[in-house]
Amino acid sequence: MDTMAAIKQTFFQECEEQLAELETGLLAIESEEHDTDTINAVFRAVHSIKGGAGAFGLEELVRFAHTFETTLDLVRSGQIQPDAGLLKLMLRSSDILADLVRFSRDGGEMDESRVSQIHEELTRAAQPGGTPAASAAPAAAPSFTPPAAFDAGSDDDDFVPITINFDDILGGGEPAVEEQVFVVSFRPKPELYAKANDAIKLLREIRALGDADVACDISEVPLLTELDPEGAYLSWTIRLGSDVTEAQVREVFEFVEFDCDVSVTAEPKVDPNFEFVPAPVAETREPVPALADDGPLIPESVLAKIAQVNAEPAKASPAAAANQAQPAQQAQTTIRVDLDRVDRLIDLVGELVINQSMLSQRVTEAGIARLSEVAVGLDDLEQLTREIQDSVMAIRAQPVRPIFQRMSRVVREVADMVGKSVRLVTEGENCEVDKTVIERLADPLTHMIRNAVDHGLEKPEDRIKAGKPEQGVVRMTAAHRSGRVIIEVSDDGAGINRARVKEIAIKRGVIEPGVPLSDSEIDDLIFAPGFSTASTVSDVSGRGVGMDVVKRSIQALGGRISISSKPGQGTTFTLSLPLTLAVLDGMVVTVAGQTLVVPLTAIVETLQPKGPEVHGLGERAKVIAIRGSFIPLIDVGYKLGYRYEEADPLNSVAIMVESENRAQSALMVDGIIGQQQVVIKSLETNYGQVFGVAAATILGDGRVAVILDVDAIVAGNRS
Amino acid sequence: MKQAMSTTLALPPVLDITAAGPLASEFLRARGKDVSIDASKVERVGAQCIQVLLSAVATWTLDGMEFDLANPSAALVEGLDIAGLEPANFIARNA
Repeated sequence: MDTMAAIKQTFFQECEEQLAELETGLLAIESEEHDTDTINAVFRAVHSIKGGAGAFGLEELVRFAHTFETTLDLVRSGQIQPDAGLLKLMLRSSDILADLVRFSRDGGEMDESRVSQIHEELTRAAQPGGTPAASAAPAAAPSFTPPAAFDAGSDDDDFVPITINFDDILGGGEPAVEEQVFVVSFRPKPELYAKANDAIKLLREIRALGDADVACDISEVPLLTELDPEGAYLSWTIRLGSDVTEAQVREVFEFVEFDCDVSVTAEPKVDPNFEFVPAPVAETREPVPALADDGPLIPESVLAKIAQVNAEPAKASPAAAANQAQPAQQAQTTIRVDLDRVDRLIDLVGELVINQSMLSQRVTEAGIARLSEVAVGLDDLEQLTREIQDSVMAIRAQPVRPIFQRMSRVVREVADMVGKSVRLVTEGENCEVDKTVIERLADPLTHMIRNAVDHGLEKPEDRIKAGKPEQGVVRMTAAHRSGRVIIEVSDDGAGINRARVKEIAIKRGVIEPGVPLSDSEIDDLIFAPGFSTASTVSDVSGRGVGMDVVKRSIQALGGRISISSKPGQGTTFTLSLPLTLAVLDGMVVTVAGQTLVVPLTAIVETLQPKGPEVHGLGERAKVIAIRGSFIPLIDVGYKLGYRYEEADPLNSVAIMVESENRAQSALMVDGIIGQQQVVIKSLETNYGQVFGVAAATILGDGRVAVILDVDAIVAGNRS
Repeated sequence: MKQAMSTTLALPPVLDITAAGPLASEFLRARGKDVSIDASKVERVGAQCIQVLLSAVATWTLDGMEFDLANPSAALVEGLDIAGLEPANFIARNA
């Protein structure tokens, strides 16, 4: 990847962060937990996206961000109040902005009409607030033409509210047609360059405004040995004689506002008809001659610097280096790391854990005493290894916040579509889970939230009839509980209509008529394949995907899903997920002399089959009778080809497992060794896919054990 | 003897942010010798490469070696002019 592409990728990563910031801020404003900082942060997020997009020539994105920003600026300056309607519009605008960012990154066609509709609404929202300051600048937003790449010099007067603070001197906001001298001091920060901007380009634009005298301060440039080639050491003072307004001068720096220190001061114009104004002129003029003198002095200052360096090389340079290093250190509190590198590290730590447990097994085998120094040292090593493993896992762990935020958008969209008023309450956004788990949670959660809004909550009129507030509440919480993360999605709707669920289940052949079912068994029916309680196929949830798919994707993550519902009070779905996908809790079993691992999440119970319980079925198949139902018995050793004859069930252990579609099966193994946490090693990456095997692991004795793919074995038995 | 210690470095046509790091390393490698910079090919120059060049001049001055910017292209002169600098800022003579 070339450097420009890499910078662009960083820009998109930063966009994601800015978008999250934007949404957090808007939601905080909505819940009235905000201060001026929040509004500033929101404004800044949009502004940064616009700035970066400008540098990469992403015109559509710049255009929309610009209008959005204009409206936000009016809010920031208190000219319009963020009422509920405006907030809703801003949240929708942030959704559009997110889409535009995504389309700019991944390509594809954006729905133009949606963009232009929101664009218009934003422009309209900015207008009623167009009180004196804004009316001086006619509604320029719609006609804003974004610069080709980086060219902030368009005359884009609606920025006047942010930048202008010189109206009084200019005389009531009249653009100065007469020539004026501005002193511009410009000191780029490294971020300016990192975002693909260049000081030279900006200086070129300043020069284009009029007659400029540029003085460059090179005194900060260090020796080569201390130079960060991508640092920022140069600063400039420009005396610009021009007939433009101060706002137009500032506009040059519009896209880099936060990435440099810039000050623009206008030298007061002395009116020829003006007689004498002693104090103010002397005061404001004072710094100017000094600055004017600075210009021609540059070559001397170079010499002075060199002379200084020559005189005390040893002293001068470390001091300069220290000065340079300090701010850089403060700025870097986070780093971006390629995910592959983290995964490689996790892999290596996994090896370390295996190696450590092999070593301790060898020590035990060698008959070394528990209290010997070797054994004690080994215990310390074990402790350390565990800490390293936890810390490395923590690198991959990320707060669930982004996904929760994405859900707030889903709620908004679905609520709009079905005409309900819904509030999403989230808790525990800082709860951390493995990145892969988070990524794979998006789809199931989206579906659950859609269901909650579409089916869970009653229609507004029904809510009022039931004595509830018109606005429904969907609650989403995350919490850590005993080494797993628990995510709950609940609504305060009518709860599950059990009579209706049962009726549908019978109609669709999911259950037989007349079967007695407990309330929770009825609730569980909605996870059955092909089950959908919606009587009409709505645009929202009726997409052929039922809760069975949700359940399957949660199970694929090593998680479980359960439901509880109270009539009239609502429904709660509870997801229990592992914190990571790199280790797994497994039951270690033996089959035909081989050691295998069965994922604990699939296991319901284990039992020893007794003679009368086992029945033959057809030529080979066997079933086991448990609590009134027959469950297929699967000999894992025979199925996987470890032996050619099926083992005697009476000498085996049956492990009851639940696979997709809630069907139970009994896996027959020779014996159970115990439960253990194992490090997952992908078989696909290292070898290839094997029937009935999900992955492999290395046990403490150094032997490889395969982890069973329970679903595949059960499905293979049926076909 | 002095002849053998001198080296010529040609600047690449594009001196943007991506060129700054390699340029700095190249100068560091050439340290301790008199250098003559062939700047005739430069088509575009950014502020960070100017920083590297200024830093090199300061370093060569400190070392008491010669640093010469030869045949600056029109584009380079224009870029330097915009930044308020001139080719003379990039010459160190310590003979």
